[in-house]
Amino acid sequence: MTDAIAAEWCKLRSVRSTAYVLGTVAAFLLLCAWWSWYAGRYWDGLSAERREAYASAPPEQPLALALPICGAVLGALTVTSEYATGMIRTSLAALPRRPRLLAAKALVAGTVMLVAGLVSTTAALAAGKAVVGDRPLPAFERPFAEHVPHLLLMAVTAAAVTLICTGLGVVLRSTAATITAGAGVLFVLPTLATLLPAPWDERIWSVMPGNLADQIAPAPGVTVRHGVLPPAAASLLLVAYVAASLGAGAFVFSRRDA
Amino acid sequence: MIEIRELTKRYGGTVAVDGLSFEVRPGAVTGFLGPNGAGKSTTMRVLLGLDAATSGEALVNGRRYVELRRPMREVGALLDAGAVHGGRTAFDHLRWLARSNGIGTRRVAEVLERVGLAGVARKRAGGFSLGMRQRLGIAAALLGDPGVLLFDEPVNGLDPDGVRWIRGLMRGFAAEGRTVLVSSHLMSEMELTADRLVVIGRGRLIADTSVRELADRFGRGVVVRSPRPAELTGVLAAAGGSVEAAADGALTVTGLDVADIGEHAAARGIPLYEVRPRGASLEEAYMRLTGDGAEFGAVAP
Amino acid sequence: MRDVVAAEWCKLRSIRSTFAVLSVAAGCAVLTWLIAFQAARAFDGLSPARRADLPLRPIQELGPWIAGLCLGILGVLAATSEYRSGTIRASLVAVPRRGRLVAAKAVVVAAVALAAGEAVTLAAVIGTRLAIGGQPFTDQTGSLCQDLPAFAVEGTSVAVFALLGLALGLLLRSAAGAITIMVFLWHIVPLLAFHLPAPWDARTGSVLPGALATQAAGLDADDSIYGDLLAPPVAAAAMAAYALLPLCLAALLFARRDA
Repeated sequence: MTDAIAAEWCKLRSVRSTAYVLGTVAAFLLLCAWWSWYAGRYWDGLSAERREAYASAPPEQPLALALPICGAVLGALTVTSEYATGMIRTSLAALPRRPRLLAAKALVAGTVMLVAGLVSTTAALAAGKAVVGDRPLPAFERPFAEHVPHLLLMAVTAAAVTLICTGLGVVLRSTAATITAGAGVLFVLPTLATLLPAPWDERIWSVMPGNLADQIAPAPGVTVRHGVLPPAAASLLLVAYVAASLGAGAFVFSRRDA
Repeated sequence: MIEIRELTKRYGGTVAVDGLSFEVRPGAVTGFLGPNGAGKSTTMRVLLGLDAATSGEALVNGRRYVELRRPMREVGALLDAGAVHGGRTAFDHLRWLARSNGIGTRRVAEVLERVGLAGVARKRAGGFSLGMRQRLGIAAALLGDPGVLLFDEPVNGLDPDGVRWIRGLMRGFAAEGRTVLVSSHLMSEMELTADRLVVIGRGRLIADTSVRELADRFGRGVVVRSPRPAELTGVLAAAGGSVEAAADGALTVTGLDVADIGEHAAARGIPLYEVRPRGASLEEAYMRLTGDGAEFGAVAP
Repeated sequence: MRDVVAAEWCKLRSIRSTFAVLSVAAGCAVLTWLIAFQAARAFDGLSPARRADLPLRPIQELGPWIAGLCLGILGVLAATSEYRSGTIRASLVAVPRRGRLVAAKAVVVAAVALAAGEAVTLAAVIGTRLAIGGQPFTDQTGSLCQDLPAFAVEGTSVAVFALLGLALGLLLRSAAGAITIMVFLWHIVPLLAFHLPAPWDARTGSVLPGALATQAAGLDADDSIYGDLLAPPVAAAAMAAYALLPLCLAALLFARRDA
């Protein structure tokens, strides 16, 4: 298994798309810094009573949107690029135990995304706090430790989306279809859910994979709380999504001709 | 009629084709030979307007390919047989190609029939074997009934029947007065198919000749074995031949034929164990021609 | 040129992804009916004050919104599927004038996207109206004939996304990259703009591709994430710019690049 992981790591490292995905994460990190700088400058220009009412978005907001879709792309390409180039046959010749191959792929892609998510969100928060300084913006002023669970969950969600799309990629075998499906689950379905009549809008919105992180560990300083799931149920659901997708992938993968 | 004039193509710092000039005339099959990486495919891609020449030009019937109004009616090309969208049926693939050049759907059925794919016309090309894809690519080249045909490595992936079929096809086109250019890295194949040969190595022209001339140039000489090689060498040299000694003790003699050598040896009483005209294959000639021109030489272990 | 357009039409028609994308777009029209039907049933039990808070337009606008993504992906695939399979070389051998090839692709993609966009948008509007029966939704007081032209204008946004997708596909030659950028332009950037402090939320939100059709139709943004600061003619010009400028850039690059 270590060999399989080492091989997958070599593969992932040596394709440009990985660099592009991580480059996008880095670009959004810069955007986060600018975002925080702008929020601070904006706050400076406000009158005292409007400062009271001003609820800025948290410093990692741009990454919160970009990380899941980056994860979706990375997870999808781990599998579908091999189908597109026909390299999947080479991979299977080298590692004929298919569930093991899939596990190695998922582990490597998921870990990369987890690390990228942790590093980028932590850096975004640190940069944000440094840029905003001692201005009392609610989304920035809490101590670092209070942010840790939320940042961790953002990274975990990005990694979970990566794994979900890895499994989905095995089932669909098409880059376009997998990324589109990922975008659909992340963005279209929650929007559709909000249009349903109450209480179903909130209920269905709450079970969407992209919305679980905020229910497990909401951002500190954010008072409006979305979602109806308690943290434990939301965590379980996130794990269940990953297990279901990878399970479906492994099932199809080991039964289908390559 | 194809004219390549002083063609140079660079990709970044790599020179793929370097001042190449040659002509391909109608009524003959011209083999375009060279080791892998010699620049054959690049030349064909520039000829078809896929890649832009760094300098020089490549003309078809006196014009650049991109200036042709309905190019498929003048030039048929088989480049890369794998280049078919796997989700499309063979018929659909040919139909859009035909439509793009104002060719009717009936012609699609005709060429499918001609290449032997009529039975699988409605099947998705993704499930085709390499040989079937190659046939589909040839069908595409034939769509416009063109006077100039370009084939890049057409026998790759074909079974012996397919190879013979395509050989006959190319000879037939040449006999009809069409211009046929076939690239290959296999001299043995070209020996059976081509009338003329253009050999390139490292992007430069090595030989532009007919198959017979090439055979003559490299095929001359007589191999002689004798227990007294040193003495025989002196005798033959005095008689006007030039003699080379091979490692296994045999002598290669040029300038004298088998009868001459036999008479001179008999006159001095030198026994001969073997006297035979050297049947150098074109393969050997080709290896010698391109020996320095190969891009990736294998190193013996 | 007519031949080339016909060939591109043949190409588009003969791959499965076209049908997949169009089916999803059609499916989302049906979905708007179902959601509207549900909303109408919920409407019965609401107090007058809460009834005013339940508009139908967001449900109707789901049609062009999802169709925009679907047809944008169709545009991307019209370019990248050729690069992936290598068919691009066959296309260029058949049609060596590259500008013409891009133009033909654009014509076919735009025509399909316009037809699909209008069909989905109008189906969503008319279907939701029928689904709610006679319920007096506050934003559905006008007659259908009055409202339809504005929605027809909204439907053109689908064609803008499709041409944008085609341009991205030609520029990047990779479905993954082009679709990701499409998703960013279509939803992530608007969401970010929405989180900017005023007045930049509305300013940025007014010039994004998804915001323009509504403004060109003269409608206000209501509670969408977009702004509505542009006059209709300006918005229409901006739509044309989004559709054509990236495409021209892509065509220019395509003409110079080795295939």
